Amino acid sequence: MYSHAPWAQQPPPIPPAPGTAGSYSPYQGTTTPPQHFASACTDMSITAPAYHTVQVRQSFNQAPMAYAPYVHQQPPPPPATSPEEPKKKMTWPEPVRDYVRRSFDPNNLYADVDRSDMEKKLKQTISTATDNHTIDTIDWASLPLPQQMIRTERTRLSWQRESVNMHLNGNGHNDLSTSKKRKSQDIRGGDDENSSSTSTPPWRNTNSRNGLEDRVSFQSPAKDRFEKHQQPFQEDKASKFQKNLEKRQRRFDGGYKSTYKQSPSPEPTSGPVVGTCQVLEKKYFRLTSAPIPSQVRPESILRQTLELLKKKWKKEGNYSYICDQFKSMRQDLTVQRIKNDFTITVYEIHARIALEKGDLGEYNQCQTQLRALYAQIPGGNPVEFKAYRILYFIHTSNRTALNDMLADLTTAEKEAQAIKHALDVRSALALGNYHRFFRLYLDVPNMGAYLMDMFVVRERLAALSNMCRAYKPDVSLRFITEELGFESDADAAQFIYDYNGQTLLEEREEGIRVLTGKAGATFEAAKAAAFKKVDIKGQI
Amino acid sequence: MDAIFEDFKNAYLNGDGYLLSRTLLPIDPPSQPDRLRAFQRSTNHAAVRNDFKYRILYDNASPIKLPADEGNAWVEIYYFYWKAVGEILSAEAGTKTKGKWSTVYETWKELMNQLIRGYNNCNFEAWTVPCLYVSGKYLRVFAIKADEENLNNPDASTNYGDDMNTEAEKNEKLEDAARVLNRVFQLCLSDRAPLEESRKWGIYNIINLLFKTYFKLNSISLSKNILNAIQAYRGDMPSLEAFPTAHQVTFKYYVGVICFLEENYVEAEKHLTEAWKLCYQKSTRNKELILTYLIPCHLLTTHTLPTRALLEPYPRLQQLFLPLSRCIKTGDLQGFDAALVAGEDEFVKRRIYLTLERGRDIALRNLLRRVFVAGGFEEPKDTNTAPLRRTRVPVAEFGAAISIGSKETMENDEVECLLANMIYKNLMKGYIARERGIVVLSKGGAFPGTNV
Repeated sequence: MYSHAPWAQQPPPIPPAPGTAGSYSPYQGTTTPPQHFASACTDMSITAPAYHTVQVRQSFNQAPMAYAPYVHQQPPPPPATSPEEPKKKMTWPEPVRDYVRRSFDPNNLYADVDRSDMEKKLKQTISTATDNHTIDTIDWASLPLPQQMIRTERTRLSWQRESVNMHLNGNGHNDLSTSKKRKSQDIRGGDDENSSSTSTPPWRNTNSRNGLEDRVSFQSPAKDRFEKHQQPFQEDKASKFQKNLEKRQRRFDGGYKSTYKQSPSPEPTSGPVVGTCQVLEKKYFRLTSAPIPSQVRPESILRQTLELLKKKWKKEGNYSYICDQFKSMRQDLTVQRIKNDFTITVYEIHARIALEKGDLGEYNQCQTQLRALYAQIPGGNPVEFKAYRILYFIHTSNRTALNDMLADLTTAEKEAQAIKHALDVRSALALGNYHRFFRLYLDVPNMGAYLMDMFVVRERLAALSNMCRAYKPDVSLRFITEELGFESDADAAQFIYDYNGQTLLEEREEGIRVLTGKAGATFEAAKAAAFKKVDIKGQI
Repeated sequence: MDAIFEDFKNAYLNGDGYLLSRTLLPIDPPSQPDRLRAFQRSTNHAAVRNDFKYRILYDNASPIKLPADEGNAWVEIYYFYWKAVGEILSAEAGTKTKGKWSTVYETWKELMNQLIRGYNNCNFEAWTVPCLYVSGKYLRVFAIKADEENLNNPDASTNYGDDMNTEAEKNEKLEDAARVLNRVFQLCLSDRAPLEESRKWGIYNIINLLFKTYFKLNSISLSKNILNAIQAYRGDMPSLEAFPTAHQVTFKYYVGVICFLEENYVEAEKHLTEAWKLCYQKSTRNKELILTYLIPCHLLTTHTLPTRALLEPYPRLQQLFLPLSRCIKTGDLQGFDAALVAGEDEFVKRRIYLTLERGRDIALRNLLRRVFVAGGFEEPKDTNTAPLRRTRVPVAEFGAAISIGSKETMENDEVECLLANMIYKNLMKGYIARERGIVVLSKGGAFPGTNV
């Protein structure tokens, strides 16, 4: 019996205010009350608790919603009681009534603004006005409608929003495409994260299934079919209504999950894709939905692709082409969940190429993946890449990551040559030992020099500031060249010259001197600027 | 069931939020070791909502009369609580094999959603906010358990990205929990009710939960958003001093640690010192945590080390800091390096390694100072003036001191480099005259703050 009418058991979310119960009696036992009442009351119930919704809604759910689309847009009557103090009777001035009427005017409604949100905003606006006694002074005619306010708020919030999906989905509300449910859900998702005024309703949660709700699921196929049947006849506005209707229904009958399950929108597949594509090259395209097997290359093909790419890179050296191809390879590996030594090879080669071209963004993506891969499977060159990783974090001055890095290294790894070198670089910098740092700079294993090149300038500035403070009256240019790892005296002089130190160079009998004692704060500003901004996502 | 609703009524009668929050505890109180099981058995799936409705709404004998929407919201909350308790009991009993803590987490999240809904739509009053503390606290606990459980059976979650995102998958539930907690945070922050009855009074507890979660997720930078948000609302907020001391201490501790990790040691010291002063005297564990960061802070800002008396009650801190302290005091560089290596794992775990490492500067300063003191005084020119220390010290003397203990001698250039650092950091006053191979130290206070 329970499973037949689960909503009857569920408490209506917004029951009538106590003490007004008598007024519903006319509708008690009515199976099909006037529909415009049903929708108007339901929608307004938050604003006006005095509306009697309980019986109406129950019968509404049992009855088919045949007439519904044409009447729901009736402007609801303005709330008769103050929302804050339900007992106190008060009449709203005409401008306010008009404002409310305009808010719910079908022509002013936005599909992407929930009715409940609107009502909340409206209630907030009016009650604030009442509380501040500004209800008579506000120019209600020119005040933005609640849906407009919500939109403005959202636009503002969306700057901070990480995901662009919401935008993408939010704009397509007019088409009754198959993924409609996904969309409305996504819109709600955006709200939930960003505004405190919406609460996450239970149906949002598709994972928590329990016996009870499973048992009521047979209700929904009928409903679903009904909706689909209705859709072709509906106007644009009706679809909005349909959405509201659906939403309300979900709220009450708990059947949301089953409805959702049957929605034709792409379902999460149970396992990874197995590709069937036989073409070696493929342009990278960012996936926005489940991958299509015919466009995914299996591992055997990818192996040939890698060989091809290696040859092409040697021959042509076209980085943008190579990078694109590698990205699509990585994507194919990911969607098929291929994690083995071949995966490592792909990421390692891409990382090396990116490093060589100074494309730190791609390099960083690769090293992040490599880190996870090394932790899971043997193979590859973990020592080499962990050393790069340390140098990379030195470059980005990422202390937290460096700390985590130290935590991850085993004792054996710390002894490995490349990693030891990177750790020595780190400690030399931490202790300000530029002498040691530049010795290490001149002797870097593997491709670490590409990374060190990126921060050597700022470390030279730091060391130079340091020396200018400590040495008086002067030192030889040769000393600077040696200490700061320049290739020649000319390079050192050029460096000093580039940072406005031309007056500090003085030619004497015994050679060129650098007047450190007179430098003052010459290099301090440049040093501060060099340390201040690290271009992490330096993609080319 | 009766025990819980008895508490519920009493809480409502007295406006006792903490009593109310205890009715939502997912663990047995010590006084009633079988409370959860009894509650779980007291009703069944078919009857549960009606049973609760009767207790909360239709009980004529009850002295409290709730408005229907509020009452129904509580019915829903207790309904999910009841479900969650069932899941917890079965998860603890280990009867189900897969995904049991995930189910607990999802059910508990429903409970939270209902609570949030209660505040948004059903006029829950501000005195009930301790319910948010309790439910939020356990949401985090269950999320961690669910993630631990998922670690062993990673299923093929959909991933349309270009790369696999192992980190995020590992902490899927906890990240979800952080989002829920963030909503609770917004719920408290944006309450416009007058201060006396505002949910804002719950905010620091929730913030602390969020910080804790962000630290666990290793995304400490997200804490900044929270701090910015309360900074923006500071005009409408009661001052921090007005909140319960427990909330204050935890908050200040976290803010201190956040500053610490950003290398803003001056700010960090300020907040940690406040936390230290307010911390409950007998709460050794919390004081230990505060000191873990306050001591390295002090080392860098004021170049001071903890006294033995301070560390007396904390054997773990003694273990952490005493070997280093000893080496810093005596200027024993080799000892310092060894102690740093020995404690590396612990230091790294607590994220103080990189800070403590800088203590080497102080050790070096102390060593150089010893060289300076050992250099004695200049020949006095006349007997009336106070004796002057020898302020011209050969670089080689410092080099010898630095090389003592280590098997190889350090090159003069590197010694000069270290000296230059000392001068640059203002730990030593003077300059290096490279051509003559000597360091000329300041006559008045060559080592600032050390009386020489």
